[in-house]
Amino acid sequence: MPSRPEPIKILAPVGYREHLSRRALLQLGAGSAGLTALLAACGSSTKTAAPTTTAAAPTTTGATTATTSAPTTAGTTAGTTAGTTAGTTAGTTGTTAASGPVTYSTVVNKSGGTLNMYTWGAYNDPSIVGDLAQTDLNITMKVDYYTSNEDLITKLSTANGSSGFDVVVPTGPYIPQMIQKGLLEKFDKSKLPNIVNVDKLYLGQDWDKGNDYSVCKDWGSTGWMVNTAKVKTPIKTWNDFIAVAMGEASGNVSVLDTGANVLGMYFWANGIDWNTEKKEDLDAAEKFLVDQFASHIKAFDSYPSTKIATGDYTLSMAWNGDARAAFQDIEDAKGDTSVWKWGLGTPNTELWMDNYCIPTGSPNPDAAHAWINWLLSPDISIKDLKYHGYNSGLKDMPGLITKYAPDLKRSDMIFFADAQVATMRTQRITSAQSRIADIYSKIKAKAGG
Amino acid sequence: MTASLAPPRKRQLHAPKFILAGPAIVWWVLFFIAPIVFVIYYSFGTKDTTKLLPVNMSSPSLHNYHQAFSSTFFTTFKATLKIAITATVLTTVIGFPVAYFLAFKVKEKWRAILLALIIVPSFTSFLIRTLAWRIPLAPNGQFSTWLQDWGLIHGPISILETRTAVQIAIVYNYLGFMILPLFVALDRIEGVLREASKDLGAGRIATFAQVTLPLAGPGIAAGVLLTFIPMCGDYVTATVLGGAKGNMIGAMIDQQFRGAQDWPLGSAIAVLMILAVLLILGIGVGLVMGVQYVLKRRRRVTIAQLEALT
Repeated sequence: MPSRPEPIKILAPVGYREHLSRRALLQLGAGSAGLTALLAACGSSTKTAAPTTTAAAPTTTGATTATTSAPTTAGTTAGTTAGTTAGTTAGTTGTTAASGPVTYSTVVNKSGGTLNMYTWGAYNDPSIVGDLAQTDLNITMKVDYYTSNEDLITKLSTANGSSGFDVVVPTGPYIPQMIQKGLLEKFDKSKLPNIVNVDKLYLGQDWDKGNDYSVCKDWGSTGWMVNTAKVKTPIKTWNDFIAVAMGEASGNVSVLDTGANVLGMYFWANGIDWNTEKKEDLDAAEKFLVDQFASHIKAFDSYPSTKIATGDYTLSMAWNGDARAAFQDIEDAKGDTSVWKWGLGTPNTELWMDNYCIPTGSPNPDAAHAWINWLLSPDISIKDLKYHGYNSGLKDMPGLITKYAPDLKRSDMIFFADAQVATMRTQRITSAQSRIADIYSKIKAKAGG
Repeated sequence: MTASLAPPRKRQLHAPKFILAGPAIVWWVLFFIAPIVFVIYYSFGTKDTTKLLPVNMSSPSLHNYHQAFSSTFFTTFKATLKIAITATVLTTVIGFPVAYFLAFKVKEKWRAILLALIIVPSFTSFLIRTLAWRIPLAPNGQFSTWLQDWGLIHGPISILETRTAVQIAIVYNYLGFMILPLFVALDRIEGVLREASKDLGAGRIATFAQVTLPLAGPGIAAGVLLTFIPMCGDYVTATVLGGAKGNMIGAMIDQQFRGAQDWPLGSAIAVLMILAVLLILGIGVGLVMGVQYVLKRRRRVTIAQLEALT
């Protein structure tokens, strides 16, 4: 990730400095953005009303053929990665890229005013939510962060259309209830011409078949980071993860701060359907996780990367992009990356997809469309991918990587082989939600007791 | 009292005196009473995520209290109480000498500066100050390396993500709220009272124990209230530094509201917490009053006793 800002010089581990500076700069940007917005609002109110559309006609870029562009950088990539979701067995490789050159739409619509985005932490390249948005789109970005989908939904529903956000990034399974509650606004698709760049595999998902409300931002999976200097047992499966967490790494383990993932670990390890609603499955999970597993947990942490670098954890459950960022953080902290190993969860693990959406009552939907559309253009999408480390799901990713990011490091942590994707499962929101939340509270209480 | 000496006022029309408290009353009703009433109301409902506000009030019940009265609640509540009580005791023990020093020992011209120094840290956001603890406490951090190089500790610092970290930071975060009321109380004690005590033969310790300390009582009470109650509800410190081991009740309530979208259960836990804190304060007040009563009885000297002495 070459485009990170200069670290602030303070008495801190280098990895932590990065964290501070990244957030601090974003927040500074956000603060000043708010101020400029205020000034602008005082100056003229017509500014945002008339967005100029300098519609560069869709042009063809790249034109790399999929067959010749299999990336040499990606260890395990196989054509276009097939991200099948929720039972759809569609994904065989290279569906869209198989015949002839791939063409991309690269329309950039200028807009204006301020764009308020509510998203996950460290999820966009700072320049994409900063200077570049300003120069390319004439948009001033202001970014806020949440840590769970429930958090996002609570904020939007309590504000009831006055949250002030223009773009939000929920995970797929949560979208239906958001639509049902009237929290999302329909896209004006004429303002999203670049949507054609998204691989068909990632369009028309179960939660929004027509992509009327949402479009894929990126998708990823769950695995672990382990410090092999401290853990001698090799970890190959979730069963090994659990055994090590309760053994060698006990007391230095972090797990993702979502009930679904912590229970998922148990279900995946034991070959139980992740979306099970059976009482006996949930009872068994509760018994094991609360009575036996909880006391070994050091922290519930959805972004363990910086704390891996500062030495807080020996074993961490992590999303692939954050795990990839951990390697960078360790390098920046002059730590030894060679002792750390990433492993993708087996025999089963998660597949999640986050989506750009526009919340109801968005003050600046024009800018929201312009920004989302811009993020769907190949160069910006890949630039962003280099930062967050998740597959952004455009057509012919290998070709795009070769063209825009030939120096991409650890691409095996971003792109997965078909065989790996086949083991990934998508979460569904079921009748077990309350029970899962209840079990999760018990795990947390037990871990603290 | 000088009231009786004031010249008789002319009769004039004037609004009732509580009008002055009007803004405060409105504010409290809107932003304190009303939310608490809602919390109590919601605590009898059931979770319903299909609604914009995920609470269904069609069949009110005590179900949430039944669920909240679980071992989960008690484990976390006990941990919270332990942290809050320990921290209150520590802030008092650490804060009292500071306040005493400021009130009696420091020259007038330095006092304002020293008081300002106590307040200055709160110019920075509570969250940032808490987050800042992660820097010296980081296992791979510079501070940890130095301590190891000097041979003061073996192996990296391992305080982060434990209850100790929460304890340290919570004392730091609330120390100012203890020192200020203590200082105000001590500062108001007239020097002549302490002098009189000495004139009547009391030593330094006796003067402190029987004159200064009782007069500082209201300050101590204010300090304890100002620190103990917010500590019980604090979730920032626990969330930022506590990891799994430092889980506090505030974080648990937050988890129900934002994580599980279970507002009714979160409300029920919140109500239980309010009641529990009130109960504990009640017990505390009872204990203090009991001690005062006993002391008063023991120290009471009757005329007969005095006569017997002479």
